[in-house]
Amino acid sequence: MPREESSKATRRSTRSSSSVTVENAEPNESHQPTVDDLTFGDESITVDAVLSNFPGRRSQILDLIRLMGPLDCPTLPVMIYGSASTGKTSVVLQVLRHLSRPFVYSSCRTCYSPRILFESILNQLLLHRKCSSNGYSSAKRCDKPSDFVNLLREALGNVIESLESGSGTSRPDKSDGKPMGKMVYLIFDNVDLIRDWDKGSMILQFLFSLYNVLKMPQLGIILISGLPPDVYYSNMGYTDPLPLYFPEYSEEDLRQIFLRNQANRKLYAAFLDVVLKPFCRVTRRLEELSTTFSSLFRKYCEPLDDLGISPNEDMKRRLYSHLKPLIAPCLNEIFRVSSHPHDGDTRGERRQKASYSSENREELETLDFHMSVSAKFLLIAAFLASRNPATLDASMFDSTGGMDNRKRKRKASEKSMEKKEMAEQEAVMKGPGSFPLERLLAIFQCIASVGDSSFGEEEEEEDEDPTGYDKENNNLMSDILLQVSSLCDANFLIKSGSCPLEGSIRYRSMVSEDLALKAARSLSFPLAKYLYRR
Amino acid sequence: MGKEIIPAAEKSLNLIRGRLCDPSYVFRPLSASSDSNYSKLKFIVSTSITEGCNNSILLLGPRGSGKAAVLDLVVGDLLEEFPDSVSLIRLNGLLHSDDNCAFKEIARQLCMEHHLLFSKMASLDENSQFIVAMLRECGLAHKTIIFVLDEFDMFAQGKQRLLYSLLDAMQSVTSQAVVIGLSSRLDADQLLEKRVRSRFSHRKILFLPPSREEFDGLLEHLLSLPADSSFPNGYVSRFNEKIKNITSDTRFKDILRTLFNANSTVNSLLKFIFRAVSLMNLESGLLSLENFKAALSSMQRQPKLEAVRDCSILELYLLVCMRRLEVKEQSAYNIISVMKEYKTIHDSFQTSDYYAQNVCLRAFEHLRERQVICYTENRGQSQTGEYRPMKLLISASELHQGMRSHACCPAILLKLLDH
Repeated sequence: MPREESSKATRRSTRSSSSVTVENAEPNESHQPTVDDLTFGDESITVDAVLSNFPGRRSQILDLIRLMGPLDCPTLPVMIYGSASTGKTSVVLQVLRHLSRPFVYSSCRTCYSPRILFESILNQLLLHRKCSSNGYSSAKRCDKPSDFVNLLREALGNVIESLESGSGTSRPDKSDGKPMGKMVYLIFDNVDLIRDWDKGSMILQFLFSLYNVLKMPQLGIILISGLPPDVYYSNMGYTDPLPLYFPEYSEEDLRQIFLRNQANRKLYAAFLDVVLKPFCRVTRRLEELSTTFSSLFRKYCEPLDDLGISPNEDMKRRLYSHLKPLIAPCLNEIFRVSSHPHDGDTRGERRQKASYSSENREELETLDFHMSVSAKFLLIAAFLASRNPATLDASMFDSTGGMDNRKRKRKASEKSMEKKEMAEQEAVMKGPGSFPLERLLAIFQCIASVGDSSFGEEEEEEDEDPTGYDKENNNLMSDILLQVSSLCDANFLIKSGSCPLEGSIRYRSMVSEDLALKAARSLSFPLAKYLYRR
Repeated sequence: MGKEIIPAAEKSLNLIRGRLCDPSYVFRPLSASSDSNYSKLKFIVSTSITEGCNNSILLLGPRGSGKAAVLDLVVGDLLEEFPDSVSLIRLNGLLHSDDNCAFKEIARQLCMEHHLLFSKMASLDENSQFIVAMLRECGLAHKTIIFVLDEFDMFAQGKQRLLYSLLDAMQSVTSQAVVIGLSSRLDADQLLEKRVRSRFSHRKILFLPPSREEFDGLLEHLLSLPADSSFPNGYVSRFNEKIKNITSDTRFKDILRTLFNANSTVNSLLKFIFRAVSLMNLESGLLSLENFKAALSSMQRQPKLEAVRDCSILELYLLVCMRRLEVKEQSAYNIISVMKEYKTIHDSFQTSDYYAQNVCLRAFEHLRERQVICYTENRGQSQTGEYRPMKLLISASELHQGMRSHACCPAILLKLLDH
């Protein structure tokens, strides 16, 4: 893996650099990769260093070391599985660094097709580096598993021979990063992504039986997967590798992980006492918690002048009370990465403070993106068109409007309540209804005139030219089709299939009720009167 | 871990692990008796070599029952007995199920054996003509070609052109070939087309799991150290003594019985022993019963239970809501209905864990990634976003068990699950 990174060189040359003669050809072109490059590259580390680098992973690291066995010990394939950001890849690489054994790493995320995967492994084994002299091509072209097996056998044979001849000389210093032993390990990362490939199941089956097909005892295979092994069961039977499970971190482990590399550990420990428990109820994933904690910690330290002091009980209580009102809204925003810049933008800060000061149960009152008036009306019209059945349009959108005068006075019987519930469930399952464009435009015109009349009432005091008012109306209408297509692009409207009889395209509104309410509130439009509630 | 590691311990570990990873060593004692599959197969193939006739056999058995290992033993012995009159071609159904690949691979292996030049650009017809010609030549020279077809059922997909041409070529008088197919599908011969099946001699050898006595003998064979000079003397006798003690212990027999109730092939026994041996205490250099117990528990993984135990509390809430909807006999539900149920629970029980919609959507994504829930296949209707129907991938009892063993599951959730 370190070699792949250093072989990146830009192909494009800017105008300025192409005018200068390229004297300094890539400095690493003269360095041909050797067998020694197959190890991690840095100095080897002790077991204790590995264990202290990964708090909470002690048993998994020791298990992995025991499964890989002492030097030159044949091993069966191992599969390491666990959910995201549990440290699988880094533990494997650090263990191999500790053991100083040669390995070949390839990830199925960067190698997104079989050909790239096979060629990447072969390049590393054949000690071939892509550079300008060979036109950035791979050593061999290989896109079928049958070719891969033959070429892999050859390449492995060569590598093992050179390892055997190299290991003849005794090396007193074991920690200089040179490869030890005569075995080569193949690491396949993100194996679960292969399921989505073309013919993915065949390739998975091939990977699992690679060890049996090759029949080389000097090869060790390690598979790293984000999904547990039971998703790989298929009709063809399954030669399962030895599983090794990486569970999610517990709260105690998370605390230890967050406390590492902190400048002021006591302060951070006090902070963690406050926030770790409530946030762990929502998620225990490291990457999501770390982004939230970094912004919250900044808020926590706001009243402090000196960030280096260790707090006593009194200060801890003060800081806690300062942070407490922010925790609850932050929990609801936990997965949202704030786009407001944090240093110096007081406008953003004020808006944030305003939003935090409201009750955490109420939504934000305003839409947090800008839409023109006609677009908002169109949104509301689409929402209404999807929710209300078409037959009620006439009564809904006349001048009196609303459902209030249609309330039934008699008490609903139990059967009709059940039917109502069933109808509700069905409506929820079916999702929003579809409508043709003409219906959307008709509803839009109705409500826009309602809205305009309310605007018109406010502005009556001013000297309003009636012809000017009409012109405004006309301008609104001409933009509508443009607005419809931009709403489609923004996924507020989607096109669902066309009716075979009429031939026109039908649309569906994907707006949630909250968003429609927000838009209506910003226009002072009485949405509730027009919604059909069963 | 600065304690002393006996170097003999490492050597014995290497030796045993090497044995476990070598299938021919493992299956040699099982093949010693005269009515084993090994002797049957050897008899068939050696008679067809000596009498110069064609033959085809299928080896069938579940995965890990040693078909390939026994075949390797037979082939190895035959290559020793008849060094000049046997040549071997190996094909694998996973790699060579495409006819192009298969013919190319056969031609390549034939060229390698007979030191001919192989051209990669040869087309399918050229390759097949070459193969037929080679078969004829070898037949005239009284040389038998053994074709080994691994994953035979993969070759039986599609048009079965390779099988037909091989079996057809064997019908002529001049050719001498044996086709051995290995498959883990017990009905592999039913997959053959009519014309292929008529040319196939319906010989099948079934690989069944060994009996208990054979397993005990196998354990003995795998785990006892040889008394040669590379090991210190006292160590070997101590080691073998310990092994005898362990294998005669009733607790060990219980462990073995639990293992065999789940999977009684030789392969699972090998994995079990591999795991146990890796846990060997390198300071004393001896195995113990605890190693075997730990190996058994690591083989009895329950991934769905682990997934539930990894969930956060919000995700558990959502799972409980989905389960309650199922109990209410709502066969299909989507995110909107689950959120409604979540809200009603919050309203009636005043829980403190009520979070906004976007947080819950993310929690749904986490659950989907862990394969605890998934979208149902929708036929025809194109639903998008939050209206797609979902379903639980774990059963109610697994959910119960997982929640009970969860580190910090609130008691109210268990109550909600029961009602």
